[in-house]
Amino acid sequence: MTGKTEDREVEFISLMLQRAVSEMAAEVCEQCGKCASGCPVSRHMEDFNPRRIIAKVALGRIEELLKSEEIWTCTSCMKCKERCPENISPYDVILVLRNMAVRAGLPHPESYDQTIEAVVDNGVTQEPLTVRTRTGERHDRSSLSLNPIDKPQDMEEFKEVLLSIVEAGKPR
Amino acid sequence: MRYALYPGCTVQSEQYEYEMSVREVLPKLGIQLAELDGAGCCGYLSYRVSSPIGWKYLTARNLALAEALSLDILTLCNNCHLSFSRVANDMEKDDELRKTLSEALTIEGLEYNGRTRALHILEVLHDQIGRAKIAEKIEKPLKGLNLAAHPGCYLFRPTDLKRPDNGKEPKKLDELIRTLGAESSDYPEKLECCGSTISRVQEKASLLMAGSKLKAIKEHGFDGLVTICPHCFRIFDGRQLEMQNLFSDDSIELPVFYYTQLLGLSMGIPPEKLGLELNNSPVEGLIERVLKN
Repeated sequence: MTGKTEDREVEFISLMLQRAVSEMAAEVCEQCGKCASGCPVSRHMEDFNPRRIIAKVALGRIEELLKSEEIWTCTSCMKCKERCPENISPYDVILVLRNMAVRAGLPHPESYDQTIEAVVDNGVTQEPLTVRTRTGERHDRSSLSLNPIDKPQDMEEFKEVLLSIVEAGKPR
Repeated sequence: MRYALYPGCTVQSEQYEYEMSVREVLPKLGIQLAELDGAGCCGYLSYRVSSPIGWKYLTARNLALAEALSLDILTLCNNCHLSFSRVANDMEKDDELRKTLSEALTIEGLEYNGRTRALHILEVLHDQIGRAKIAEKIEKPLKGLNLAAHPGCYLFRPTDLKRPDNGKEPKKLDELIRTLGAESSDYPEKLECCGSTISRVQEKASLLMAGSKLKAIKEHGFDGLVTICPHCFRIFDGRQLEMQNLFSDDSIELPVFYYTQLLGLSMGIPPEKLGLELNNSPVEGLIERVLKN
């Protein structure tokens, strides 16, 4: 991303932080654990626990969370959001934390950057691939009689508008 | 009925069997498909993580392209559909967001006024075409098969937004499977997440999630799994070998289909036109059984 100035990022992050704590009402969480007991990831990974993430947010341990691997482990299935008796959504909290971590330039999975770069350059997350049949025969869109994919016609203009709105979305 | 087809990045770049089967079956059910020229990524799997406004712009841009054609969008992907529903809803309720996005859209000569909406193919099949009309077209019913329905999370969540199916008890995919003459019993794990969204970040966890679900489905005695989301399909169909290794269990082997492939097969469309040779899972036996019906 272009034109990143540290002051603006700090301001942005504090704003997001405020939102994470107040809007998500993490302080009303009674730690009942309905989120964690239903979480399909927690079942297979002991170190992922949405209840603990909410506890950390309530205690202000945001920086620790931003630098942790756990915020990148949620599948976004939203089961926790539906199960919470207090209408807290660990899913939404995790999404805000991800936004904050990326904006603060903290380590995050490379695959997200690759996907974003692909969209900026080509308008889509991935160019059409060659695939194989079960017997090993190679095919692409044209050999399967599929037309070329739709894409932004003027890539330069697409890129310019996209990057400018991403930039405008940051607080000044 | 005419829709602007929006296959989405994942389907159009690798899930060719889904797109092929959709383009085969829908016209035969009275649905005309228009191309959405100039479409791009909806942003759900890209900018949503770093820039919510960038994500919403990308989605709004596609809605605006369809609105210029006075057509509703037909999506094949659960993520894209959630993205369209969320952004259309937010733009309607948030004046500031609508103003910001509208200004950006103007640069490309576009506008979005909430007239176009996006439908998931499940809704088009179940609610627009309807089961009665589908039933009329069945030439080779899927008799004697019991198929597990896997709708995928975003077809019924979140419940604070209108979703294609009911949040407490989604059953449209099951009903559509039964329309083809197969059984589709309910099972306890039906609503469990496939894990595919973290497959590039936490590979083992994602394979454990998908593998456990396949194992359970197999133990319940189902003949195969049917889904309608490219991300769920990708892990269930494409990564069974890795699941077998991880669980040290060769029995994690199950035919996996897109609903539209089975619909086409039961309508008498030849398997090669439905991309059935592109499924990685062992689908041959089941196809043969259907062709004999």
